[in-house]
Amino acid sequence: MGPLEGLAYGFTVALTPTNLLACFVGVLVGTIVGVLPGIGPVGAMALLLPSTFSLHPATALIMLAGIYYGAMYGGSTTSILVNVPGEAGSIVTLMDGYQLTRKGRAGAALCVAAVGSFIAGTVGVIGIMLAAAWLADLAIKFGPPEYFAIALGGLLLLSRLSGGSVVHSFVMVAIGLALGTVGMDTVSALRRFTFGSVALSQGVDLVPVIMGLYGVAEVLLLAEQGITKARVISVRLKELLPTRDEWRRSWAPIGRGSVVGFITGLIPGPAAVLSTFIAYNIEKKVSRTPERFGHGAIEGVAAPESANNAATAGAMVPLLSLGIPFSPATAILLGALVIHGLQPGPLMIVQRPEVFWGFVASMYIGNLILLILNLPLVGLFVSVLRLPQHVLATLVLLLCLVGAFSLSNSHLDLWILVVFGVFGYALRKLRVDASPLVVALVLGPMMEKTLRQSLFIAQGSVVDLVTRPLTLGILLVPVLALVVPPVLRLRRRPRAATAPVA
Amino acid sequence: MLERVVGLVVVVAAAIYLSLAVALPYGTTARPGPGFFPTLVGIFGCVVGLTMSAQAFRAPRRAPAPESGRDAAARTRAVSTVAVLVAFCLLLPWIGYPLVAFAFVTVLLQRLGSAWRMAAVIGAVTAVVSFYVFGVLLDVPLPRGPW
Repeated sequence: MGPLEGLAYGFTVALTPTNLLACFVGVLVGTIVGVLPGIGPVGAMALLLPSTFSLHPATALIMLAGIYYGAMYGGSTTSILVNVPGEAGSIVTLMDGYQLTRKGRAGAALCVAAVGSFIAGTVGVIGIMLAAAWLADLAIKFGPPEYFAIALGGLLLLSRLSGGSVVHSFVMVAIGLALGTVGMDTVSALRRFTFGSVALSQGVDLVPVIMGLYGVAEVLLLAEQGITKARVISVRLKELLPTRDEWRRSWAPIGRGSVVGFITGLIPGPAAVLSTFIAYNIEKKVSRTPERFGHGAIEGVAAPESANNAATAGAMVPLLSLGIPFSPATAILLGALVIHGLQPGPLMIVQRPEVFWGFVASMYIGNLILLILNLPLVGLFVSVLRLPQHVLATLVLLLCLVGAFSLSNSHLDLWILVVFGVFGYALRKLRVDASPLVVALVLGPMMEKTLRQSLFIAQGSVVDLVTRPLTLGILLVPVLALVVPPVLRLRRRPRAATAPVA
Repeated sequence: MLERVVGLVVVVAAAIYLSLAVALPYGTTARPGPGFFPTLVGIFGCVVGLTMSAQAFRAPRRAPAPESGRDAAARTRAVSTVAVLVAFCLLLPWIGYPLVAFAFVTVLLQRLGSAWRMAAVIGAVTAVVSFYVFGVLLDVPLPRGPW
């Protein structure tokens, strides 16, 4: 199936009433969690994952992904109006967005953010169509060694890019990999690290871990603050239209942001967050009036808001074409597909076209719904912020508890939820990113399987493995990314040290 | 200081994990057994733990920032939230979901700043609605308790 043919088929899937409803619910929930500070898309996706078990896999994917990209729309609203980021992907938007609000241009900022997100979302979907299909063709040739190399390389890159120290990220990776080895070994049926527990022989389930790290931990941070209420500025519909000058300034940043965001999304790492910083800095560099940034430059809203939307689309590419998730959000999407016995990857596009193309088409529809939802109804979403935070925190916690229990009706999942909630809270306090742990937990079992298969194929020769041209090429990228920056720093250091003396 | 403690905890945990991993059948390099990958992970854990500790012990010691009254109140709220969560998990099998959910919401709301009466009303409504939605409509076998 060619891209156009596939897309046409996809629309017939995405436009069925069930899938349309799933898309609507997904982007609506996404917008709300995006607007609410403290509760992010990943926690919400984990919460809703159990409710998708009875749905068709395409429907499940459509709804859960809708939460992910919908949150990028909602997040900007809170950043612009309240000066608090609705979620991490909108931190940069705050710098110029809130300044625009203070100048009385909140409506224009919201409108540019929504239109930019829409354009970027559409560019991103086109990117998925082209990149995923191309990569999937390539991936058909991949054997176990290549998959092992991609997973290993992805983890290394993620650790380098997730911010903070590389050692801290590696500790997270080690914990994730170790947790991934708990349970029954698939080859020998031997129980490992279960300490005699029957429940543990199924392994540590990803969902309560993510709910804990991203749901409970965030709620604990909310609970710390006790009773708080956001001060909300109301925006009238009439004020939503940007001036001609504001539009003129925004088009190029939206375009650049879309491209930068999509490419960042392809790379393992916290793509949505990272892409906003990169896009903002690019705009500052190419601007003829960089001094306006930070004082209410509309470009400073247009570029990052476009970038984070395109990045969510880019992040889907490795998941759909290789079956490898490089972020907690795509890890949940993988979980949703695997529950239904679907293994995303090159074969899924061919064998289950209704899932792949239906999903791609739903993203077009979802972005359109989001544009309609977010512009005229922005006031309605903002009123969600008037809900008392401590009531919200309590209800979300109860939902997490019931959700974790309902996964397999096991008390073990409840304890995993609480333990990882406390652990995630501690990580926030220490400013350590939890995503390497989540990704390692998902990739660990796959890495073990492919490594054992690879060594079997190569009859135990590690050299044979690494010197396969594809494997070598794949591994070279993260090795360079890890080695080059420290080496450059070492070379620069002597000069920096002598500078103050001279 | 914290960094040093955490580093050492990582080393100890990784060493325990490694000792358990080594006890599993390792197989050969050409036919790796169930202990092969865990052994590698354990070694990796020990190496990053030792690196973290080494960095922490080489770095100059910083005095911890003095705690303000606001921090203490915030911490009390966080700690009571965790305590209520643990209580939920402990009590659920014994007294059943509806009662635990009611107590959970009421106590937590009160701890976070609501008045008792308001908290109890929200707690009762939440317990009934959530039990109906999850336990009845969605068929989650939530424990009902001994009655």
